[in-house]
Amino acid sequence: MAAGAVLISLLPLGYLLIRVASSGLETLLDLLFRERTAELVLNSVALALSVALTAMMIGSLQAWIAVRSNLPGRKVFAVLAALPLAIPSYVAAYSWLALFPFFSGFWASWLVLSLGTAPLVYLAVSAALARFDSSTEEVARSLGSGKLQVFFKLTWPNIRPAALSGGLLTTLYVLSDFGAVSILRFDTFTRAIYNAYRASFDRNQAASLALILVAVTVLVLLLESKTRGRYRQSDVIANRLGISLLGGFKLPLVLLLALLALLALAVPVGSLVGWSIVGLPQTNWEMVLSALGNSIVLAISGGMLTSLFAVAVAVVVVRYRSALSALLEKSVWLTHATPGIVVALTLVFFANQLAPAIYQTMFLVLIAYLVLFLPNALAAIATPLRQSPKSLDEVAASLGLSKLQVLRRVVFPIALPGIFAATALVILTVLKELPATLLLRPTGVETLATRLWSETSVAAFSAAAPYALLLVVLAGFPAWLLNRAIRKDLVAADLERV
Amino acid sequence: MNSRKLGQLLAALTLASAVALTGCSSQSDQSITVYSGRSEALIADLLESFSAETGVEVQVRYGDTAELATQILEEGSNIRADVFFSQDAGALGALAKAGVLKQLPEDLIGLVPSEFRSTQQTWVGVSGRARVLVFNPEKVLTLPQSYKDLMDPSWQGRIGISPNNASFQAFVTAVRVIEGEQAAIDFLAAMKKNAVLFEKNSLILEAVENGVIDAGLINHYYWYELAKQKGTENMVSKLSWFASGDVGNLVNLAGVALLSDDPNALAFARWLMGPSAQQYFVNNTSEYSLTGLPPVAGLIPLAEIKSPKIDLSDLDSLAITLELIQKAGLL
Repeated sequence: MAAGAVLISLLPLGYLLIRVASSGLETLLDLLFRERTAELVLNSVALALSVALTAMMIGSLQAWIAVRSNLPGRKVFAVLAALPLAIPSYVAAYSWLALFPFFSGFWASWLVLSLGTAPLVYLAVSAALARFDSSTEEVARSLGSGKLQVFFKLTWPNIRPAALSGGLLTTLYVLSDFGAVSILRFDTFTRAIYNAYRASFDRNQAASLALILVAVTVLVLLLESKTRGRYRQSDVIANRLGISLLGGFKLPLVLLLALLALLALAVPVGSLVGWSIVGLPQTNWEMVLSALGNSIVLAISGGMLTSLFAVAVAVVVVRYRSALSALLEKSVWLTHATPGIVVALTLVFFANQLAPAIYQTMFLVLIAYLVLFLPNALAAIATPLRQSPKSLDEVAASLGLSKLQVLRRVVFPIALPGIFAATALVILTVLKELPATLLLRPTGVETLATRLWSETSVAAFSAAAPYALLLVVLAGFPAWLLNRAIRKDLVAADLERV
Repeated sequence: MNSRKLGQLLAALTLASAVALTGCSSQSDQSITVYSGRSEALIADLLESFSAETGVEVQVRYGDTAELATQILEEGSNIRADVFFSQDAGALGALAKAGVLKQLPEDLIGLVPSEFRSTQQTWVGVSGRARVLVFNPEKVLTLPQSYKDLMDPSWQGRIGISPNNASFQAFVTAVRVIEGEQAAIDFLAAMKKNAVLFEKNSLILEAVENGVIDAGLINHYYWYELAKQKGTENMVSKLSWFASGDVGNLVNLAGVALLSDDPNALAFARWLMGPSAQQYFVNNTSEYSLTGLPPVAGLIPLAEIKSPKIDLSDLDSLAITLELIQKAGLL
């Protein structure tokens, strides 16, 4: 099953190689050395890195405050920090533009994307912090180390993998994003790919460009694994969480967090509510309900299917660690930064070549979601799996349990919060997904996202707003659940809070 | 429930749903599949009228014209669509070039002027879309008489264009074909200095309405669409044409092509060229009827626009235009 998942994930790469082979290496090289290409790659990379850094700072701060501080209202902020995930980047971008017509360019894109992806880092880092036992910190402090020293030498190395993994998700997300940057008028590499499809109908040229993006992804992945460091396996699950007493910093931090929530949530939601009120009389409720139903069905099936495969891959990669399994894990990420349209066309191509019967069925749409979101699910499951010690497995095996039983009774329960998190994350992302759903759905099937798109494409913003609002509200549930899955780890730890 | 049983249950469920879901799409004899680059909001009612009149069910797949065309090309020998309703001629040209379009009968093609149909009889224009200048009357006191006037440095930062939009590209193609490649290169270089770039025509219109820019090059019906939403009296901007004969007055088209031999598909194409559908375009989308019906009030009649005569679907020509736009750094 793990092998199957990995193979499916590599389909887009296969498609791109086939297309590039059709048009020859010359086209690829010609594109590669064009000045405009270099400019666009630079733009994309600059945006991705700056957003990743900002998101890491915001997310880590929010995680620290939520898990390890005594800030008043931290439970509320903890929920608010995860919620921006429910807002698609194109919706957020549009709502800002609707309020501030001059809002555009690099900094506008940076703002919208940082606010939108910070939750990814926040969730990863909170999960790591929740599992990090602070007794070692206390020992270090009692031996005379300063607060800062303890942080850099002990705490940071333990949460660094999570922060960087969140940063990786962010970077790849920004590289593949098209909706927000096109509305905010910032030229990125993804635009070049879309334009190649839309303007010249040259699938081969577009594929060559997408292949360049895959190369950039490989570089980013290499960078991440070099700086990630190794996961420290703790011998016990965290049962003490040291609390930082914030003292005089309380008020500024409260204000800061409130500001972040305002920018990330209040602006888009307020804008949508305003437009919805304008458009309410003309809303076609039948269409809304049918779209809602389809969105829910696809999201839940997509979430379950992808998580299932992610568990299989995670178990292979984490528990049976080898050079091959590390390679397998990386390969799942290879095409994560390619725009959704590439994945969609990949499946159109392969389905029509190999299995025409499944083309334009819900089944193929679910496979698309698997290809698109397996990396996200994998990241959510692999992290807690990695942090649980292998010694537990060995003890269980020594007590006579078979490999399968060890999996079932030791590994699975430890991975369970990760599995819930992964399912919630995929459900969330599927709800927002647009390009693959548009191309692969059965003719006549609409989701909230596709309806939203079709209304905005004719500038019918008041008609689009109810769909956008419903989408955000619906996606709020898994976002909230995701947060809870992480905080569940904290419940036991809470009892031991100093 | 232990996890082995759970696993088996899940596997069974997945398999069952897979089987169920694949069997979902069935086509009755009296139905056609349309891939439409024209949006649902614009044409859903039109398609319902067709079904009501003829009893033929229409399964529509709405999407972006170019993405649908690409999808059709990628479907290869397994094309699902009977009809392709395109928002611009370039996509029709791409499909014609790939050889997937069926021949249309003479009498159908003959309903429109020659510049609005395929030279190979593979597609026909259904409605016309005029390139216009939308402007803010408070900021633009003397209207440009030619698109060339926009090259003047006084327009820097005031004019909006959408270089990735098919209609804009068709316009630049017209400049290239009629006035020469150098004219096109000069124009694009000037736009690189002067123009503010937008992703879509609708965003240009909004920017003019909000005062972000003073004028923009768009298609005429966007203005009418917004006027319907906001009320004509609340519109800040106005429309203007360039002097008669100017290349800036290019008229684009939305067109239809057939991908299968289904007689119902041909009936649909005929219906689109018929009086009720043509009137629909005039009334609901404010576009030009290509079969000669009078346009909506306030629009210059089609015959008076003197649109430059070029083959809008010549994709090879479009490719050259794209090169120029890319070289100018606008794409």
